[in-house]
Amino acid sequence: MAKKKNSTKTPSRASGNGRGHGSLASRAAATQRRYAIPDYRLEKPEFTIRQVRAGDEVRYEIEGDLGAPAPPIRESKYLGKKQCIEIYRWMLLNRRMETALENLYKQGKVVGGVYFGLGQEACSCASAYALKPDEWLGPMIRNQGSLLVRGFSARDIMMQYMAKAGSPTKGRDASSHFGDIQKRHVVAPISTLGDLIPVLAGVALGARLQGRSIAVMTYIGDGGQSTGVTYEGLNFAAVQNLGLVLFVENNLWGYSTPADMQFRVNDLAERSIAYGIPGVIIDGTDACQVFDAAHEACERARRSEGPTLIEAKMMRMKGHAIHDAADYVPKPLFEYWRKRDPIARFENFLVNTKKWLTSQENAALIAEVERVLEEDRNFAVNSPMPTPESAAGGAYCDPGCHEIKPKYAVPRVKTAASVRRQTEAAVHLK
Amino acid sequence: MQLTYLEAISQGIAEEMERDPSVFCIGEDIGIYGGAFKVTDGFIDRFGPERVIDTPIAESAIVGAAFGAALTGLRPVAEFQFMDFLPCAFNQIVNMVAKAHYRWGAPAPLVIRGPSGGNVHGGPFHSQNPEMWFVHAPGLKVVCPAGAYDAKGLIKAAIRDNNPVIFFEHKYLYRRIKEEVPAEDYIVPLGKARIAREGRDLSVITYAAMVHVALEAAEILSKDGIELEVLDLRTLSPLDREAIAQTVRKTNKVLLLHEDVRTGGIAGEIAAIINEEAFEDLDGPIVRLTAQDSPVPFSPPQEEYFLPKVVDVVREARRLLAY
Repeated sequence: MAKKKNSTKTPSRASGNGRGHGSLASRAAATQRRYAIPDYRLEKPEFTIRQVRAGDEVRYEIEGDLGAPAPPIRESKYLGKKQCIEIYRWMLLNRRMETALENLYKQGKVVGGVYFGLGQEACSCASAYALKPDEWLGPMIRNQGSLLVRGFSARDIMMQYMAKAGSPTKGRDASSHFGDIQKRHVVAPISTLGDLIPVLAGVALGARLQGRSIAVMTYIGDGGQSTGVTYEGLNFAAVQNLGLVLFVENNLWGYSTPADMQFRVNDLAERSIAYGIPGVIIDGTDACQVFDAAHEACERARRSEGPTLIEAKMMRMKGHAIHDAADYVPKPLFEYWRKRDPIARFENFLVNTKKWLTSQENAALIAEVERVLEEDRNFAVNSPMPTPESAAGGAYCDPGCHEIKPKYAVPRVKTAASVRRQTEAAVHLK
Repeated sequence: MQLTYLEAISQGIAEEMERDPSVFCIGEDIGIYGGAFKVTDGFIDRFGPERVIDTPIAESAIVGAAFGAALTGLRPVAEFQFMDFLPCAFNQIVNMVAKAHYRWGAPAPLVIRGPSGGNVHGGPFHSQNPEMWFVHAPGLKVVCPAGAYDAKGLIKAAIRDNNPVIFFEHKYLYRRIKEEVPAEDYIVPLGKARIAREGRDLSVITYAAMVHVALEAAEILSKDGIELEVLDLRTLSPLDREAIAQTVRKTNKVLLLHEDVRTGGIAGEIAAIINEEAFEDLDGPIVRLTAQDSPVPFSPPQEEYFLPKVVDVVREARRLLAY
């Protein structure tokens, strides 16, 4: 949970040489051990979640004050009216699509479970919005909003959940487990967490070999960041100075385990210090803060300045998946975060604070989102299931199935004369 | 020209890097040091640090990064210092990479290569033959060359393949096998076995270092007029079912030989294939000769006990022929 932060400042270790080996000067600065983690939030809640015994029962309880009023949306340094409204629309589509999915589940039309990003729509949508079309994103299960922003439709996601023949994976995988390397530049996630981090780093590495400094973005949670591959991937990105933008979505719960039982640091952004990369803290329910941090990290990536870790604090407002009622979450916590709802606050910001949307325009926008959803829902529901035989084939890329060629440009290679070093006298395991 | 098994692999990778700018190497200590076994010796000078990338000790990062680069249309060649360390990246390999094409249509043209196998007193963590863990993961191809000519042709084919290939080099063979290798470009196609020695009496189906054990046994037995046929599988996934069936049809007796442990080894799978394809052609039981079901022991007398040997092949062949 958010706690006090006593960090001081350090210059970032970024170097522009494209390989990320810090200069002597920056090494010297690093030995002074002064670190800064900017915290852009407008409130810094002070509470923790503890496992306590109450009579015969062990449960989670809140320690701290939940009485503070919800903070306003922070003015963006970069977003104008049009962009804010676009992000707002993605967030609405994200949430309403998930409501539609919940209803489809209740009607027995969904195969398996449904995963929700309720309360996290700002983080998914405003982060992905900072990427350019030829940059890459790897979503987690709750980042369905990110997929919408990257150009997939609600129809695609609904068909995934209903295991339809026309789903992006043609029925072969579920939920947000799909991608597109041709156009939308999305890497399909797998169920285990942290594995996308080295993969996205590799995408940036591939682009760099092709002469391009691109931003690549992926996400990890307060739960998933405990995995070893998270460390391996981010450390690799750091030493290679790759343009990875890592959102650490601290939504307080890893399935049923609270963040306080997942790690010992005050803020997960502190991890950035150990990787030697910049870290920032933002309010993940504030679309403007999310976008600004994402944009600045993407710009660093494009300038070949290396990875950035962004800790976005928020709360998962439903269970792990639809089967999970989340009874383990103390009720006051839901009430606290419901007041910090990312969509209601952004709507208020656009309609009342900025006056960029009139009530009528807002109503029309919502109606339009609903209309699109209804159309997509009907299409998805009425589209056929795959044939049994369509399970066959495709495990391998057969000749003629894909043409492999560099996405950006043929790497420019420098080749020197063949030199063979003296092989060592002692050969390992002769 | 005469090349060792190791030089052949090294040359094969270098030729592919010359031919195709999208090929690059990534792994631990492969740059200035040239790799723990010197397969990439001199590569960093020749191709530059951009294409010969030293990594932290982080196998999941190596495979993940290779996969990510492959998604952008490149052809990474990832070195594992020892194939015993593949389990460090198991999730990346079997869940991320192997399933990518089936799940979401993403080809993963990458090679994961490195030394495997025993008989060098490397102990339980530097001697394994972990190929079957990957044969059991659809989406991967698994290659295990036995000779220098094949090693070069197969590594080139693996790099050109549009699928993830796990390329098991046998460290015992690195500097022991020397063969004539043509100077001109060639590949050995994946999925095609080869007859390493023709014979009429009994087939030994094997791969990698055990091919040489089988050939030695064949030499001994031929002095008694017994002619073994030795089938070198070269690729374990996909398996050359037709070549397996053909040799059984020819000799009617079959000995399955591998350095991998017994249970779940490829011998069991081959026995099932023979059952499906050539049951009527068998004139005797299918015999398995494998390592025992244990980790690879360190001490030389123990390792010798653990590994199948020429005398074992000779003994089992005579027993089967007498059946």
